[in-house]
Amino acid sequence: MASPNAADASSAPEPSKETSIIVPRAAKAHNGPPPESKEGIWLRRAAILSFWAVVVLLGLPVWWKTTAIYRAELPLQDMTDWAESKICKPVFPLRIAVESSISSHDAQQLVRLTQHAIDDLNEFSAHHLRLMPATSPYTANSSQEVIIDGTSIRSDDRDNALVIRMIQVETGETPRSQLQSYSPTLDVYYSASQLPAQSSTSSPLASFIAQELHTVFAEEQAQLAYLLAAQPGAQAARTKALSVEKYVELDRQSTKVLKYAPTYHLTFSLFSPSYTPSAWNIEAALRTYLSPLLESFSGISNFTVDSQVQLYATFSPSIHQPEFDEHLKAWTLRKEDLSAFVNAAEWPLSPSIGEGPTVNFILYVPDASQSPLLVKENAGNSWLIPQWGGVHILNVQNVSTTPNVLTAEDLVPAMHTFSDQLTVLFGLPQAPASLPLRISTLERVRAASLIFSASSTLGALAQVYQKMPSIPVPDNVAQSVDSTIAHLQQACHLLREGRFQGALEHARIAEVEAEKAFFERSMVGQVYFPDEHKVAVYLPLLGPVAVPLVMAALKELKGVLASARGR
Amino acid sequence: MLSSRLLLLLNAFIAFAFAGSDYHEQLLLRPLPQDTLLASFNFRSNESQASFEQQNFRYVPRSLGQILQHAHTQELHLRFSVGRWDAENWGQRPHQGSREGGTGVELWAWIEAETEEQASARWLTLTNALSGLFCASLNFIDATKTIRPVMAFSPEGDHRNAPNLHLLHGTLPHEVVCTENLTPFLKLLPCKGKAGISSLLDGHKLFDASFQTMAIDVRPVCGLESGKCSLEMEQSVDMVLDIARSKRPKDNPIPRPLPIDQIECDTSKGFNAQDTCFPLNKGTEPGWTLEEVFGKPLRGSCPLVEDGEDSNSVCINTPPERTIEVRSNGDFSESRLASDTLRCYKLPVGADFDLVLPEQKMTTGLVRSDPALFAARSINGHGQERGSTQAIIRNPSTSEAVEFVYLESLPWFMKPYLHTLRATVDTSSESPIKETYYKPALDRQRGTHLELRMVIPPSSTLTLTYEFEKAILRYTEYPPDANRGFDVAPAVLRVLTPQAADKKGIYIRTTSLLLPLPTPDFSMPYNVIILTSTVMALGFGNIFNLLVRRFVGADEVPAAAGGLKGVLQAKIAGIKAKLGRA
Repeated sequence: MASPNAADASSAPEPSKETSIIVPRAAKAHNGPPPESKEGIWLRRAAILSFWAVVVLLGLPVWWKTTAIYRAELPLQDMTDWAESKICKPVFPLRIAVESSISSHDAQQLVRLTQHAIDDLNEFSAHHLRLMPATSPYTANSSQEVIIDGTSIRSDDRDNALVIRMIQVETGETPRSQLQSYSPTLDVYYSASQLPAQSSTSSPLASFIAQELHTVFAEEQAQLAYLLAAQPGAQAARTKALSVEKYVELDRQSTKVLKYAPTYHLTFSLFSPSYTPSAWNIEAALRTYLSPLLESFSGISNFTVDSQVQLYATFSPSIHQPEFDEHLKAWTLRKEDLSAFVNAAEWPLSPSIGEGPTVNFILYVPDASQSPLLVKENAGNSWLIPQWGGVHILNVQNVSTTPNVLTAEDLVPAMHTFSDQLTVLFGLPQAPASLPLRISTLERVRAASLIFSASSTLGALAQVYQKMPSIPVPDNVAQSVDSTIAHLQQACHLLREGRFQGALEHARIAEVEAEKAFFERSMVGQVYFPDEHKVAVYLPLLGPVAVPLVMAALKELKGVLASARGR
Repeated sequence: MLSSRLLLLLNAFIAFAFAGSDYHEQLLLRPLPQDTLLASFNFRSNESQASFEQQNFRYVPRSLGQILQHAHTQELHLRFSVGRWDAENWGQRPHQGSREGGTGVELWAWIEAETEEQASARWLTLTNALSGLFCASLNFIDATKTIRPVMAFSPEGDHRNAPNLHLLHGTLPHEVVCTENLTPFLKLLPCKGKAGISSLLDGHKLFDASFQTMAIDVRPVCGLESGKCSLEMEQSVDMVLDIARSKRPKDNPIPRPLPIDQIECDTSKGFNAQDTCFPLNKGTEPGWTLEEVFGKPLRGSCPLVEDGEDSNSVCINTPPERTIEVRSNGDFSESRLASDTLRCYKLPVGADFDLVLPEQKMTTGLVRSDPALFAARSINGHGQERGSTQAIIRNPSTSEAVEFVYLESLPWFMKPYLHTLRATVDTSSESPIKETYYKPALDRQRGTHLELRMVIPPSSTLTLTYEFEKAILRYTEYPPDANRGFDVAPAVLRVLTPQAADKKGIYIRTTSLLLPLPTPDFSMPYNVIILTSTVMALGFGNIFNLLVRRFVGADEVPAAAGGLKGVLQAKIAGIKAKLGRA
């Protein structure tokens, strides 16, 4: 198109030098397009602008909106605060009832002095004991109840952590104390002369009681301190209450303990490498030895119990077969093989159906030709598998004939081992000697750990929400988060009031809700369908449409700039 | 006839159950025509209802027991099958077809539930849990593959205490049954395939068989007088082995011809020469041993089997003249039943046991009993839109009419036209259909469920045909091997009269069908996107250019107009001018 003009322009000067100035000017004037009208220019610009306006104001938002993923609003700040333990600092005010037959005035005085002594001894501020004079449910009748100022309580109140029963004796060494094994009661024996005088500021009896209480609750304090120390932002809480050795020991214990769940499934399995014994009286054994224990745990978790008999169970080929030890007169397993003793590939130890983890207890009866079977290093016959269960090797007394049926009596040692293993797996503290006291300690520790775990789940969810903008967040996640926060607040509130049972209840719900929110299934799918994909699918449309738009806009801009410069 | 009746009796005997915990197992061997061998394994364990409810499992495996409790399943029937039972040659099916399933996986169960929705939810739980236990795709049994049969199945167990029972039935005809299903099956046995007859079961032989079916049946059984209930779990494996094929050694599995000097030649043939040979058909029963055929030795008895009348673990059904040697180091005992046509052996504990049957020329044979019905089904028609199904059912009996239920469970994408349903009998003009139950399909929600109660007069053939339309599926609904076609579950026939001797019933199943559906080109969506985008972009570009371009005459275009072409031409012109000047 331009070639004749160009040829003209370049060749024109050659033939006629004198007209060289005129010809190109004339050619230009003649061949150039007529100047555009102002309206034409403005119309064109308006057209381009309107296209751009439609694309930017309508097209892109509609595209964005229709391909966007729904993300419910989450209270991110609250969630992070919970995770950093900024909102709830758990405290454990324990109420201890002091039950005595002395006059209320004397009792008040004793309680006051003992409280002083305890406060001096206590090094762990979050955990403190509050003594209250109490009336015994047996001695108190309506006429004697002199609760005027609200400082006295009844000793059979469920919120009491411990009851101290003051018993006046004439003989024996005084003061002395006795912790009852099956009730949360500490009996303190004293002689009348040891009661503090009205004006005195210290008393040997009071400091004795304080010392005793301190010992009783030492384990609990250590456990709680250990828990608190593991929390973020709780560096200050690391107290003197926890020595390094104690910390290491608790650390070791906590790796064995099962993760908290509202329901545990206990599976008792009898394994035998041959066909005997093929039956066991497990029903009676469980009823006698396990049911009471499970009943006392029922305030914290529920349990289902099942049992099975599995014959022809062979060891996994990866472990050393048992060897005969002349010295022990027994077949021995090497300690390093114990971890592979359970042949997971062949032994049917699949988890039970339903919510909650399964705890396996294995009773292994060795073949008559390999009996007795012991652990080489310590001649033991049972061991615990952290967070999974326990194993007990039952060596039948009469080696020559393995009985066909194991009676309940045969199962007694195994049942004792299993109940010990269960308490360890469950996280029941080793001290003090009173079982109800240990269970209530566990209740407090569990409540605290649940609060911490739910809070940290919330924190993790907040992080996921912020770091992964491409995942969808449905409304029920927001609901679960709200419910978690509400229950956490309740739990924290109840802890402060010293009502631990209720606190555990709320903490448990909070934990379940938090897990539900975090593991919401529909949040995962979209991760594999990233934003780039959206663009890639629409590229065949967006590319060809964008090119003329952009080119036209550039050209027009150039024109505007040129005319601006020209002016 | 005699032997087969006794066989039935024996089967009924095996099925007799006690309340309480016990365990029984039995292997029944029966040589079939064409050098094949039917091996029926049967394992039965009982658990008292009380200990089952307390979850103290002894013989019934814990893994399955917990699934049943969790899904509130009162009775369960699960089948894994491969191959086809050749009824023309082999006669009646083992257990009269009551322990057999259609090709692939078949599952039906009676579930206790208040409402239909609850039953469906529990059914879903059940299929998912079983899927994990048996390494099968049972979790793909969804609402479209589930039906609620009305006449075809009735419970085998005693369900006096369970009023709200729902029967659900699902099939997976596409499922390939293989070793990974056998391993969990063996693990459910108390002796785990390490002792007893289960030690013969080997995946290589089982899935190489001409026909094999594995069944699991769980049902509650109550004593008649005592009223004590127990849970009975029956596991059975029926397989038909080709003896020559099974005897191939493991180190030389490829069939090769013997050297010519080892073959006995038929010298009566005209082409018989030094280097050519027609193998002589000796008309003898082939020789075999248990170890040869199953590839594994039988490792004695499972010691859990209680002593009693039916503690004979291995039985073989042959004519009395057949020579059978027993090879064992332990104590075993033999007993002969049913006028010597059934030889049973009590296995030794802890010692291997083997039966040796030498090659033998037989003068007598066993009477082979015919099945109640012969059934075959096929797809007719061509094209990608329509087709028709034809089922041919024959009554071989010369005296008795047979009443039966015909059950079809069709996938939703195969839409039958019920008005084209025709059933004709060649010997009479009367319609054989007595009762019809039909539940039409809903797209993507449920499949067709068709049940017909029909009667065939003696020595007659019934032809059942109906036409159907093939649906067009969505892009994502096609399986990865879409061009292979879609499997249609076998039809189930339940014989009502003559009545079965026990509650298990008489069943016959047809083979599954392969339904070809129109299959798209799977790169289509992206092509469509690109094509539409191009068309839209073209239109947009044209309109846009029309609106914003300025149109001028061809000679009005400025000389050094922008663009690559203009620049190039200006350059070329410049060079030309320079050259011209030089």
